[in-house]
Amino acid sequence: MPYRLFVEPFQLPFMARALAEALLLGVLGGVVSVTVVLRRLAFVSDALTHTVFPGVVIGYLVAGTGGIVWGALGFALLSAVLLTVLPSNRRVTEDAALAILLTGFFSVGVVLVSRRSSYTADLTAFLFGRILTVDRREIVETAVVTAVVLAVLAVVGKELLLRAFDPGAAAALGYRVRLLDLVANVVVALVVVAAVKAVGTVLVIALLIVPAAAARLLTGRLAVLVAVSVLVGTLGGYLGLAASYQASVYYGLRLASGATVVLALVALYVVAFVVGALRRAGGRRRADRREADLVAEAA
Amino acid sequence: MSVFSDAYARRALVEVLLVGALCGVVGVHVVLRRLSFFTMSMTHATFPGIVLAALLGLNLYLGAGVFGALLVLAIAWLWSRPGTDESSVVGVVLSAGFALGVVLLSAQSGFTKNLSAYLVGSVLAVQVGDLAVTAGVGVAVLLLLAALGKELVLGAFDRSGLRTLGYPARLLDVLLLLAIEATVVSAVPAVGVILSVALIVAPAATARLWTDRLATMTVLAVGLGALSGLAGLVISQLVGVSAGAAIVLVACGLFAVSWLGAPRYGVLSRFRHRAAIA
Repeated sequence: MPYRLFVEPFQLPFMARALAEALLLGVLGGVVSVTVVLRRLAFVSDALTHTVFPGVVIGYLVAGTGGIVWGALGFALLSAVLLTVLPSNRRVTEDAALAILLTGFFSVGVVLVSRRSSYTADLTAFLFGRILTVDRREIVETAVVTAVVLAVLAVVGKELLLRAFDPGAAAALGYRVRLLDLVANVVVALVVVAAVKAVGTVLVIALLIVPAAAARLLTGRLAVLVAVSVLVGTLGGYLGLAASYQASVYYGLRLASGATVVLALVALYVVAFVVGALRRAGGRRRADRREADLVAEAA
Repeated sequence: MSVFSDAYARRALVEVLLVGALCGVVGVHVVLRRLSFFTMSMTHATFPGIVLAALLGLNLYLGAGVFGALLVLAIAWLWSRPGTDESSVVGVVLSAGFALGVVLLSAQSGFTKNLSAYLVGSVLAVQVGDLAVTAGVGVAVLLLLAALGKELVLGAFDRSGLRTLGYPARLLDVLLLLAIEATVVSAVPAVGVILSVALIVAPAATARLWTDRLATMTVLAVGLGALSGLAGLVISQLVGVSAGAAIVLVACGLFAVSWLGAPRYGVLSRFRHRAAIA
């Protein structure tokens, strides 16, 4: 039974490629989501996943499937810069500006897609991805992006962390806070670019938030946080693919693979939430007992 | 106008005018309270409700409204737990809702066509019943805001003042959130779940660039919302692009123009001001 559940699906070449892609994205998402959660960039990440969409469409219209990555990359960098300089008007609060930028860019993408005859099929492919059709070149592209992002984080990770917890100190130490913000936004944007073919623009947001949010419920130590987050990211990809394969092959139930991966991630978040709550309750009970013992001793 | 010679086009016209005006009114409160991310999560959280209602053959609005309200309560509960951070909770709920909706839909045949209608709207397909729902929601929301507008504005600017005066602040919050949720649901046929947030936030944020007075801001937001609906619909008919996206682009375009050129708070006027000082 476990063989049929967990090993057999991935002996098919296309499932093996999907798994490789999902595991790479799990590592990438696991690491970057730590930055997102600690810096509270959830809304910014959500905005980036939507603003990359017109780039995906334009890249596809100009150069076919090979152009998607370059179009996405162009718009990712453009919107990372825009999101860094945007909150400068006192009359427009940051959240309103983000919402307008996000929907405006997204609409450009929808308008461009809606001109095509295969409108609805194209739209869903761009939005939700097609992880089962990734080929060798796309896996290499994802691996390259992962390597670049990990290298960037290895170099400036400490500074980003300082900026997250104490922006005043970072500025006082002579770091350029605006520049660090730009680096963080670009890193998030790169994850969106890497994941866009596999899980689509809308579901990347799960990869960017859920792993670290789940890990955060279990630990406060940074090294452990990163490790647990990567584990959640990769495990979610693996379980999601296995589940969607099982459902469609043995139960005749078609489940979109990208969305199933996201649901697996969310399920792991729920597990982490319950475990965290139980541990806190256990800790409280132990503390109560210790107190009761002390009171009894004193009496 | 020849664009509106058909019955379906006239229904679409009425729908976008109603939705634009309604979103404008509610948007004023969303912008004043900085509820944009929350509204965003509401629009995404509503999605699986719509799919479920369609699968079970229930009323679309009922399914969307109930499901959205449930997830909003879930968010509120998670916020009150220790060790959770507000924006990541919203992010988790948002992606969970969206993925659930997609998985549910993918189990059906005719997947892609329905999906895009929910996501970006299909205003030309609205029926008389949809118009009635939008009008009904509009009247209810307007009555609510007329009755409680003063208290809600006080809450936006001075929460502790509101509580000191003995008003039930929590209850007022929940009422406002429900009004936003109802507006989102009624805007789905016209602009879809992803884009409805634009029609709520953009007109009000634009109005705020032009005036300091709340009454003027509200009137302006209503006008801008209805104008975006009208202009977007006409453009989409003439050029042959998605109506929901065209409406949103007009709303965002109006914002961009005002952000640059508004007389006192626009970027250009501030530059000129700075140059005059120097």
